[in-house]
Amino acid sequence: MRTKKNLTLAAATLALALPLLAHHAVSAEFNSDKIVTLKGVVSKVDWVNPHIFVYFDVKDESGKVTTWRLQSLPPLFFKGSGLTKAKLLDGSEATITAYPAKDGTDDFGFLLKLSYPDGHFYNLGGGTAPRDGTPPDPAK
Amino acid sequence: MNFRLSIHAVAVAGLGWAAIQMAAVDAFCQAPNYGPPATSYAIEAARYPDAASKPTPHVADGHPDLSGVWHHYFNGLVAKVGDKSFTLNFGQSVPTAKAGGPPAPQAMPDPEPQYKPELAAKVKRLNDNQVKEDHTLHCMPPGVPRIGPPQQIVQTSKQLVFLYADLTGNHWRVIPVDGHHSADPEEESTYNGDSVAHWDGDTLVVDVTRLTDDTWLGDNGLFHSAKLHVVERLRRVGDTIQYSMTADDPTVLVKPWTITRTLTLQPDILAEMPPCVDNDAGHYVNSEHHDNAR
Repeated sequence: MRTKKNLTLAAATLALALPLLAHHAVSAEFNSDKIVTLKGVVSKVDWVNPHIFVYFDVKDESGKVTTWRLQSLPPLFFKGSGLTKAKLLDGSEATITAYPAKDGTDDFGFLLKLSYPDGHFYNLGGGTAPRDGTPPDPAK
Repeated sequence: MNFRLSIHAVAVAGLGWAAIQMAAVDAFCQAPNYGPPATSYAIEAARYPDAASKPTPHVADGHPDLSGVWHHYFNGLVAKVGDKSFTLNFGQSVPTAKAGGPPAPQAMPDPEPQYKPELAAKVKRLNDNQVKEDHTLHCMPPGVPRIGPPQQIVQTSKQLVFLYADLTGNHWRVIPVDGHHSADPEEESTYNGDSVAHWDGDTLVVDVTRLTDDTWLGDNGLFHSAKLHVVERLRRVGDTIQYSMTADDPTVLVKPWTITRTLTLQPDILAEMPPCVDNDAGHYVNSEHHDNAR
């Protein structure tokens, strides 16, 4: 419930902040009732408007690599964060959380957060993600 | 309607939050668009409360100097956590301005354009389906007047250049002073139209014709016809510009629609926007969208 409330609030605040982005809702594409957690490595970043895209390679037990395509927010949202393509592409293993696509597209989602083994994290999902900095509960 | 009102209420409450953010994080301003009205401009103005009382500079030909960066995209959403981590905080709870704290910038709602009654259903249909129908969501330029007031102006005695760094890309207009509209009747209309300017005393008046009807006047289905005629007026007052835009389209509107803004000179550079790539179109499963406060 809190996630839904946050999503609504984020929507309202985004409408305040950025009208060109604000028209289509995250919920028009992604299932905010479900959060997937994945472990892998960022393999590609498209630093474009209206959303950056992060490609995330996930290896299963058999060694097969699946690349997730993860939508995020506009580049300008990260102004002042220090986040760059180079930082995302530094080869570190990361744990990410994301909302999966509603249309059934495999391996496509809305990126909420990247967390690294040394404890640092990039909470890109902002208000759509739990606000205390901890990874969302995948069961929710 | 209730939904729109409730969103509006939250957005207005957000201004208090924005004021606090501004004090803490320095800057919070936003997109050059006729969506949420004066909000971001009010926040930019609040950074320089005495801007209008500064002396008004003039260029060598005696006209007011309009050159400068007047509006730019915000920052200030980032909350750093330690040296390496951060959270985007736009979705956190929205505090209201506290007693004795910074005042919330004023956001005066824009008037709504008045459509002919028989066209109201079309506006509603476009609005309801804006996820598909709003071309800016698919990286097409917003065009004039939806692009908003100029974000940067470069002024010479013979022409002005208006620059815009938009989510849909980087846009520009070259506007001759005392020039003439194109006389070629077969020339195709464009997103930013055919603009010419003249000085009316200390006010620059920009007359825009030949605008494509692929664009909207603003958010939420505000379509127009190819007969749209736009007049912008810019008057520098100290380190501010009093800007107005009047859209006259008798084909669809009952009367001309006028929007006003106060622009405040900003010290920042106008940064280039990354390109816009429409990666979403195939993935929408419904028409859910956000209504903008007006």
